[in-house]
Amino acid sequence: MIQHKTLIIGYGSPIRGDDAIGPLAADALAAGPLPAGVNVISRHILTAELVEDILGADRVIFLDATVDGEPGEVRVRSLAPDASAMSTMAHFLDPRELLAWSQTLYQHEPEAYLVSAAGAFFEYSNYTLTPAAAAALEPMIERVRELIATN
Amino acid sequence: MSRTITIEPVTRIEGHARITLQLGDQGEVEDARFHLTQFRGFEKFCEGRPYREMPALTARTCGICPVSHVLASNKACDHLLSVTIPPTAEKLRRIMNLAQITQSHALSFFHLSSPDLLLGWDSDPATRNIFGVMRQDPALAKDGIRLRQIGQMIIEILAGKKIHPTWVVPGGVAEALTQEKREAILKLLPEGLEIAKRTYGFFKTLVPKFKDETSHFGTRPTMFMSLVTPKGNLEHYDGFLRIKDAQGRIVEDMVPTVDYQRLVGEAVEDFSYMKFPYYKPMGYPKGVYRVGPLARLNNAEACGTPYADVALAEFHMLQEYGPITSSFHYHYARLVEIIFAIEMMERLLKDPDILDHRVRARARSNRDEGIGVSEAPRGTLMHHYRIDDDGLITWVNLIIATGHNNLAMNQAIRQVADAYVDGNHLQEGMLNRVEAVIRCYDPCLSCASHAFGQMPLLIELKDAAGQVVDRLTRG
Repeated sequence: MIQHKTLIIGYGSPIRGDDAIGPLAADALAAGPLPAGVNVISRHILTAELVEDILGADRVIFLDATVDGEPGEVRVRSLAPDASAMSTMAHFLDPRELLAWSQTLYQHEPEAYLVSAAGAFFEYSNYTLTPAAAAALEPMIERVRELIATN
Repeated sequence: MSRTITIEPVTRIEGHARITLQLGDQGEVEDARFHLTQFRGFEKFCEGRPYREMPALTARTCGICPVSHVLASNKACDHLLSVTIPPTAEKLRRIMNLAQITQSHALSFFHLSSPDLLLGWDSDPATRNIFGVMRQDPALAKDGIRLRQIGQMIIEILAGKKIHPTWVVPGGVAEALTQEKREAILKLLPEGLEIAKRTYGFFKTLVPKFKDETSHFGTRPTMFMSLVTPKGNLEHYDGFLRIKDAQGRIVEDMVPTVDYQRLVGEAVEDFSYMKFPYYKPMGYPKGVYRVGPLARLNNAEACGTPYADVALAEFHMLQEYGPITSSFHYHYARLVEIIFAIEMMERLLKDPDILDHRVRARARSNRDEGIGVSEAPRGTLMHHYRIDDDGLITWVNLIIATGHNNLAMNQAIRQVADAYVDGNHLQEGMLNRVEAVIRCYDPCLSCASHAFGQMPLLIELKDAAGQVVDRLTRG
């Protein structure tokens, strides 16, 4: 059986309510037992140097909050590199753009997924998740574990 | 008929902003304004919080430059404690600040500005982006990623966490540096210095190609403000405030940072959420000044490290006499500062005291007002707090680097619009130059969150009745 090198990147602002669910899920995963070859990173935003981390992985799982969907709804979608998904606020990147950096500069194209949870409240100076988002945390982690278990 | 061009959002900057150009009857630019369109109210929502939370709270101002806020905030807390932090703690904080400057300047130069510099302002906007740079010069793009990674790794080695580090604390730092960590950082520096020198050498060859932009990108007279060492040299962490006028005469010198309010007044305008700081003795809006890499190099007698001093001498040769006035040369100044930052980090790490275990002064609050000032990548950053007897925040004033530059940025876009924009024949390249002059300042309007999706740029020219008479799209 091939052992995947999996990189999990949870990202979101810790002071914007439900936006924090990505890094919180990543922190929870990092705290628990993980199979060999799985690395976890928590970030406020996606930035360029993460490309170097992606180079060491053949599977990348992004964890993020979304404004789409019913609050608490967890979705999994596969991601492909997309150079047109550039953020105009260029200090941070879209995950598809980050994958395109890896593809364009290093010809490295890992399998990639976005596991998202719909949030309800994203205002500044809020340090807790809404009940709906908090309830989505465990299902989100479970979906990640399922992806990791897939070879 | 009077018309208005709106550029929204301004791209390749940090945060949300809009530029409007007001045109006269003949299509000439009558007014130009830079609008900050986001409001977040950090100063207000910090009220009532314990002062010890301020470094962590204000670090959330931005996902890119949390280190700068952590440092200025902790300096304000040091002041509240009335302590002088241990010398080793100061050196460690300095290293963290220099690592932050390295990674931030790398992002600005390699990823935000290089598409214009490498591909040209008038090139196809569909490919005038970082992917265009990757295709044209992949080695340069990789250098940018690596240099940024080196800066971030140093922060992580020191603080254990890349974003929002809690290692810096009121009174010093939480943990002493270990020999192992020192060696790990020292190992990264030679590669960083090579990249910095290589990029600087490359950019020097590019500068002569931009004579036109150099002469129109924010050359109108302003003063320059920055910290300097007691000897008047380049300083990023502490020291004293210096202000030079547009002719290079020192008008304020060795001003203690706690006296910043004697120098800096703050005005507001109804078209922007960003404050308009000005040099108080000259009044508003005449008291326009610039901060950041250009100001720091204009104000410094020397850098104090070998390669950076050579580069500083070359920087001064960009103009025949006086301070370097063109904001285009912010790019040049950033590269000089990266060289300095790497050289200085090595010097500090080789200091025999750097492994000293005494890194934190402990005290309770001993005064009700604290001021912390440091140099963030984009310029002078000021944190000012007042607390009550219980140590709860009653008042906050933050003056960020981008705010200091607000008047100058408005002045600069007017100058560039005058030089390049023809309202009767709108071309994308004209408007890109208006955006590009803003990018010279690398403004940080603080996004603090993220969006999943694409935000296209729409540029519209409207007449006085609000009818769209011309439209350009990008992205």
